[in-house]
Amino acid sequence: MLEQLDFLENRVIRVGAEAVIKEISWKGLRLVAKHRVPKRYRTAEIDERVRRSRTLHEAKILWHLSENGQPVPLVLFIDLANSIIYMQFLEGVELRSHQSPLRYAERLGEIVASMHSMDVVHGDLTLANILAGEDTGLWLVDFGLSAFNADLEEKAVDIHLLERSAASAFPDKSREFMHLFLRGYSRVVGREKTSEILEKVKEIRSRGRYVVRG
Amino acid sequence: MTIVLGIESTAHTFGVGVATDEGKILANIQKIYRPAKGGIHPREAAQHHAAKAAEALEEAFKTAGIKPSDIDAVAFSQGPGMGPCLRTGATVARTIATVLGKPLIGVNHGIAHIEIGKLVTGCGDPVVLYVAGGNTLITALINKRYRILGETLDIAAGNCLDSFGITAGIGPMPAPEIKAGEGDTIYELPYRVKGMDVSFSGILTAAEKLLQQGKPIPNVCLSLTETVYSMLTEVTERALAMLDRSSLLLVGGLARSRRLYNMLETMCRDRGARVYVVPDEYAGDNGAMIAWTGLLMLRCGATLPVEQSHVKPRMRIDEVEACWSS
Repeated sequence: MLEQLDFLENRVIRVGAEAVIKEISWKGLRLVAKHRVPKRYRTAEIDERVRRSRTLHEAKILWHLSENGQPVPLVLFIDLANSIIYMQFLEGVELRSHQSPLRYAERLGEIVASMHSMDVVHGDLTLANILAGEDTGLWLVDFGLSAFNADLEEKAVDIHLLERSAASAFPDKSREFMHLFLRGYSRVVGREKTSEILEKVKEIRSRGRYVVRG
Repeated sequence: MTIVLGIESTAHTFGVGVATDEGKILANIQKIYRPAKGGIHPREAAQHHAAKAAEALEEAFKTAGIKPSDIDAVAFSQGPGMGPCLRTGATVARTIATVLGKPLIGVNHGIAHIEIGKLVTGCGDPVVLYVAGGNTLITALINKRYRILGETLDIAAGNCLDSFGITAGIGPMPAPEIKAGEGDTIYELPYRVKGMDVSFSGILTAAEKLLQQGKPIPNVCLSLTETVYSMLTEVTERALAMLDRSSLLLVGGLARSRRLYNMLETMCRDRGARVYVVPDEYAGDNGAMIAWTGLLMLRCGATLPVEQSHVKPRMRIDEVEACWSS
């Protein structure tokens, strides 16, 4: 039982609408616990079912990406009874508050492109969900809105959200950031697919309805 | 004093309202088409509206205590809605405006629901949950436009509940919610939330299947309402968190649902936010909301030449610049 695994809670990293993210330790290892907290407004049956299925979904996506060499936190334990995922703690700075985000843009393009070629989308690809480590190490986190079997539109939404997020985090550098990002992206998926997706991004932008958190 | 006449005719309601620039509603007359059985037939509803228009107008002028010549502009709901219904209202509005020589104002029906909610509740800068028979969306005013933060990907929440009620033989809302009060078991129905978007068509099909299997109607009603309202509350919470706002405004026909209000209230209390709900008389479609929004638009000169006043059955709320907002 997970209760007997002696987790030590250290601090709360983030509180979202759906989950609380905590840093914890276990046998000297630093881990992250993502807890989908119960919602009082929902009837217990529905609440438990929803939290459990989402926890399972996110864990599956993370596993799938890890297995395929993508830089996402490694899942260590899943506590389905309480809807908690225990995963690797990643050392890094959110790209939105990084000193030199441009250094990471091209590599980010490659990572997102290879994820997209697996038909997986992140679903909430903002700079707050991208961690930059030492050198050019990058990690994608928070796959709560991610999806398997993604279509062109969902992939384009990833890019659109990233662009909007870059424009609000560092307005003067966002053009160059996206230019480098797309260079990395098209190196992986090719020019044709990249321009196809950019057409879709344009269409989404013209609908003007995806808003990004700061 | 500026007075605007508002005409609503997007679906089953033909409404005539009169609003003043002091935010007073002088009249709010509703003539509702109620089909003998089944849902709304657009052409029949439009014929109902045409037949009731003169009577509704007369009552509105009488209640407001004004003469037609006292009004300064004529507003009508331009969309979204059922084409034949919209055209009937637009024709009435054009006629009055032309005869009186007053400006015509094309109002977005969804924005009107929101603006009347803001007027009567006095809430400032909210996230808005607009749920009705034909619309389901979450929106907030950002840079002078109601941005759609989330919406239904298929049918509206109210449509889902109404359709189920009609299929089950108990009638549209509020019947399904009343019946849910007698239920004691919750069956599993698809819970489709995608970011801030929701989808209800799968739930409707699944609920109808439960009926065919002979499950008790009250239990299916309970499962359906609990699932639909939970989804709406969840996406609303996400929008509040994303924009970091602490007030929520609930508008549209489903604002009359006590259970939905309860859920939203619990959610808001748990995150230190406050929920405002439009009173019942302005929750459903009504002419007052069109008159009041027309008045706001008149203030910034957003009038419409008759030759450009065609209706827009698929009009979106983010098409309109909210020129009246500060």
